Amino acid sequence: MSRPLLKIYETLVLCMDVGFSMSNSPPGEEPPFDQAKKVIQKFVQRQVFSESKDEMALVLFGTDATKNPLDQDGQYQHITVRRQLMAPDFELLEEIENHVRPESQQTDCIFSLVAVGLFIQVKKYDRLNIVLLTDLSTQVSSDNLDVIIGNLGKLGITLQFFFPFPMEEEEHNEEGGGGDGDGDRRGSSRPGVGKGLSREQKQGLEMVRDIMLSLDEDEGLDQVYTFSEAIEQLFMFKHIERRPMAWPCQLTIGSSLSIRIVGYKAVTDEKLKKMWITVDAQTSKRDDVKRETVYCLDDDNETEVQKDDTIQGFRYGSDIVPFSKVDQEQMKYKHDGKCFAVLGFTKHDSIHRHLFMGSQTIKMFAPKDDEHAGVALSALIQALDKLNMVAIVRYAYDRRCNPQVGAAFPCIKQTYECLVYVQLPFMEDLRQFSFPSLENKKFTPSESQLAAVDSLIDSMMLVEEDENGQKEDMYKVHEIPNPAFQRLFQCLHHRAVNPGTPLPTMEQWLKDALERPSAISERCQAPLEEMKRKFPLKAVEKKKELKTGAQIFGKGSAEPDAKKSKVDEEEEEFNLAKISEGNVTSVGSVDPARDFRSLINQKSLPFGEVCQQLTHRIEQLLSNRSTHYYMKCITYAITLISKDEVEGSTVSKDDANQVSLRKPLEPYLNHCELVKNAFLRV
Amino acid sequence: MAEWNAFYQNEEADEEQEEGEESAVNYKVTGRDSLVFLVDASKEMFIKGEDGEPSNFDITMQCVRSVYTSKIISSHRDLVALVFYGTEKSKNPRNSFKHVYVYHDLDEPGAKRVQDVEALRGERGARLAADTMGSGEVSLGDALWCCSNLYSDIKLRLSHKRLMIFTCMDQPHGGDSTKDRQARTKAGDLKETGVVIDLMHLMKPGGFDVSLFFCDIVSPPEDESELGLQVEPCGKLDDLQKRVQAKQQKKRAMARVNLCLGEGMNVAVGVYANAVTARKPSAIRLYRETNEPVHSKTRTFHTQTGSLLLPSETRKAQVYGNRQIVMEKDEVDTIKKFYDPEIFLIGFKPMEKLKLHHHIRPSVLLYPEEQQVTGSSCVFAALLKKCTEKKVFAVCRYTPRRNYPPRFVALVPQREEVDESNVQVTPPGFNAIFLPFADDIRKLDTPQFPTASDVQVDKMKEIITKMRFKYRSDAFENPVIQQHYRNLEALALDMLAPESIEDFIMPKVEQIDRRLGPLVDEFKELVYPASYNPDSKPAAKRKTADAGGGDEKKPKVEIPEAELRAHIKNGTLGKLTVPVLKEACKQFGIRTTGTKKQELMDALIAQMAK
Repeated sequence: MSRPLLKIYETLVLCMDVGFSMSNSPPGEEPPFDQAKKVIQKFVQRQVFSESKDEMALVLFGTDATKNPLDQDGQYQHITVRRQLMAPDFELLEEIENHVRPESQQTDCIFSLVAVGLFIQVKKYDRLNIVLLTDLSTQVSSDNLDVIIGNLGKLGITLQFFFPFPMEEEEHNEEGGGGDGDGDRRGSSRPGVGKGLSREQKQGLEMVRDIMLSLDEDEGLDQVYTFSEAIEQLFMFKHIERRPMAWPCQLTIGSSLSIRIVGYKAVTDEKLKKMWITVDAQTSKRDDVKRETVYCLDDDNETEVQKDDTIQGFRYGSDIVPFSKVDQEQMKYKHDGKCFAVLGFTKHDSIHRHLFMGSQTIKMFAPKDDEHAGVALSALIQALDKLNMVAIVRYAYDRRCNPQVGAAFPCIKQTYECLVYVQLPFMEDLRQFSFPSLENKKFTPSESQLAAVDSLIDSMMLVEEDENGQKEDMYKVHEIPNPAFQRLFQCLHHRAVNPGTPLPTMEQWLKDALERPSAISERCQAPLEEMKRKFPLKAVEKKKELKTGAQIFGKGSAEPDAKKSKVDEEEEEFNLAKISEGNVTSVGSVDPARDFRSLINQKSLPFGEVCQQLTHRIEQLLSNRSTHYYMKCITYAITLISKDEVEGSTVSKDDANQVSLRKPLEPYLNHCELVKNAFLRV
Repeated sequence: MAEWNAFYQNEEADEEQEEGEESAVNYKVTGRDSLVFLVDASKEMFIKGEDGEPSNFDITMQCVRSVYTSKIISSHRDLVALVFYGTEKSKNPRNSFKHVYVYHDLDEPGAKRVQDVEALRGERGARLAADTMGSGEVSLGDALWCCSNLYSDIKLRLSHKRLMIFTCMDQPHGGDSTKDRQARTKAGDLKETGVVIDLMHLMKPGGFDVSLFFCDIVSPPEDESELGLQVEPCGKLDDLQKRVQAKQQKKRAMARVNLCLGEGMNVAVGVYANAVTARKPSAIRLYRETNEPVHSKTRTFHTQTGSLLLPSETRKAQVYGNRQIVMEKDEVDTIKKFYDPEIFLIGFKPMEKLKLHHHIRPSVLLYPEEQQVTGSSCVFAALLKKCTEKKVFAVCRYTPRRNYPPRFVALVPQREEVDESNVQVTPPGFNAIFLPFADDIRKLDTPQFPTASDVQVDKMKEIITKMRFKYRSDAFENPVIQQHYRNLEALALDMLAPESIEDFIMPKVEQIDRRLGPLVDEFKELVYPASYNPDSKPAAKRKTADAGGGDEKKPKVEIPEAELRAHIKNGTLGKLTVPVLKEACKQFGIRTTGTKKQELMDALIAQMAK
């Protein structure tokens, strides 16, 4: 991933050649058309999920029909604007999926670019980037070269090209003077290369080279890619890029020395902006679902009180102190706002890496246009670095934010210098646990055990020196995209494009990226076996201690762990009765009534779920065409929906009302009634 | 009710940190922790040191006070008691024990208690103690018996029971073997019921000999190989506080997982927080009339029909590319599932490969769990030793819980360190440093400047050297939290004004100026031209937070409806700035609660769709 693929500009026009040569390919090879379409699809997907605001248009070359603003007097034929400049969305994806198909005309793709530059209306200040995907099989007229270059330059357009074949290969073939048997040097498997290039293609390439070099002498050719290169690089969703926000401030030492600085977040625990919203299952509408919070007194009736009748308070140990918002605001700790003030300097090694706090590091530079600040800051950075010291600072983002204490480390790179700020803990944050020493006769490893560990470590080194003495890191975590985002986008995309189908499995590349590199896995096989022989490990069969009812019955195993149940404090009291009922986890078929009752008492499952289980059980019994089952049902149904049952249990009335148990049972009640009558008649 | 209620509340909390991190350490509540301070009140405790140093009793009270206040802040649910023995007067539940004075029953500490203890400090405190309790005969057996009654009178479930004896007498009964035996028996009974007894022995002329009596009283150390009592007696408050602090917090693992070295090689480890950001506690709602706490219930219902919605009657959705994508709740959970909880070893890297600025969240400490997999400690100790020797760290993939996407961590070895008096200052273990993914790293344009000359650097070195100090991680209190608790304290105790706090993270400007003297001007002369004023520019640029009237000055930023619609149609709403969006919301009479850009955008899109 050396070259940045597809520079993102404000506006982008994807031009795809759909002309007839694009769907030609030697047997067994994927036609260039399919590849190009894939590139476009992947790219648009990435833009959709990265919520890019960059607008995008889609223009097809070589279409049977013509649809473009310049379609007059027979010029610019077979060019179709499929979509005007707009932010990419799923409609565009569907459009590509359904409406971009091979067609049978040809156009001079390169000349058409100028047309695109003319008729795509770009707002002032926005730069236009045109991407062309073609196999260059159409005759291009080099007569127009100057016109093209002139126009592109005038319009400030930048170009990127995607071809089915590599550009360098062409060069190589020319040098080799022929180009037939020479394809094996850089993978003859590359589609398009094996058959050699046609005269038109060579001519086209030549023109592309001229154009690109005239637009950007040095790096122009870096913007030419092959389809397969592009697909390879686009397989992952684009990782989140946030525009860095500048934080201008002054670093102060004492009252009279200040240095102007600008801070930027350099590393931060990145979260997705979007949250899941709750929608109605039937209508999928958000507006149909409303959430309401009510406040209740802690009395038997759980009397509701209005929000306006409540005030704010805080706990001070066992005391509860009423403390209004106004008072709180008035009495709270106040400070002067934004600051980056040095408290003092200390040895680098007195700052422990494991006590870094917060979720970010900030890099502090001097402002871009302020050379004096640059020099002053450089003096500080250099001095800290030479003395092997760091600054301890008070940092406050602004007046509304709480001030922090942190360390500013010097950071000297080849191209720049900066301070790196990290938050440090307050006394209240520390958890000073002590642990039994491991220097213990029982645990002290023997020499042979240590040797086994030694060779395991050696076999699993991820960083190794190559023959040039260069250290090669084969597992860079900071280059792996966050798998949580990748997987979420994959699933969202799948669901959007294929509604109603189950979610896909994780993509193989992602799985592989999260695993041990295969070279390491192989190398560590033997040392690992040795480790297993040297260190006997035995899992202890845990006898689960019986603690509280809540623990025994636990959160129902059906519930995902993410939903941690908050165990109410009343639960702390030990309840023998619960245990004696045995471990009831669902409403069974033997005695549903009893199970239902004990589940409600245990509160191990949400009330609604228990009700559903019961309803389900009754349905099951009803479907059994045997009369005494019917009778069994009737009794259960009647007893259980009676209010008394619910009141008798520990479920509060309020909760009981929340689930209308009666509703799902109603049809069955009628049914039972019928059966009962029928039975009596018999 | 608990579960049902909790279910709904959880859902709400869920949504807030849907993609959330393990922000707070959520310990599973199994009961209350309890701590009894059993303090010797005999005459010897009140003897002051030679140079007017505070008496043992005094430093004990300071220590108790600090535990009280820290409990209020960090774990107010814990129960604490203060009991004196060797007093003249007696005060205990049934008054069945002589010379035992229960000053505070086992209960949550509150403002009143802090004041009570505060009153026992210093010269006046000693007098007060003499007046209320006096010093008399010592019977540790009775004292321990009384304490065991305190425990048994508690109705709540106690998860961790600890008793700390503060004394400077290594032979409390002066050799009375009957009393010694009785004390031993009672201590034995207590230990049997799960009470951990610690000795906080204090300075005594001639030294404190633990082996004379107390070795039979205290609980055996966690670690059998060590005697545990090799530690020297405490003479200083700092030491005592440190020692008490280390013992009073029950260490709880955030998670217990396997450290998997490879197929079939699993080492059990506990995951412990090194530090957790302490926050102001959240407010509780009280009923205006009675000041009693109210609890909240959140219900989800259908807007049209008004009927309550079961969790199964709702789904989750996100909007991307103008399309709402809907999923079942359990699908949302399965998307987050990658692996079962484990720490999976990928390989090792040399220490210098761990980049300082690659920091995304506070680290955690790993310590072996011998009780889960026997042999774990040995593998762990060997790994620790070898990683330290070879100066390498382990790269691992860490899945803390089910339905939790993995993160990578660097396991950095940490050897045990003890101080002069043999108290552990750094526990042994691996610190797990969380590593950033590609998404977490931001690309910055780095401005380039000429580097400073040697003269300039040397001048700065002088400044730095003048301002050197020894950093200690526990040196800075959080002024925001401290102020908050002072305010509460003042309100709880009807004080006229809250006690003032010292802001430790405020630079002591005068002191710095005095120390640096002419160095500052010399440095400025070297780096800044005479005309340059580093303080001027940014202030003139714009005033945001400072100027209260800033809002009025801003020109109205209205946007025509047609343009807005065009933006919504083209999906380019995000190009507008927050103030413009807010104004637009106002324009169309949309009430927004949110201030986030996404929220404003969602609100506008929803409105325009109508």
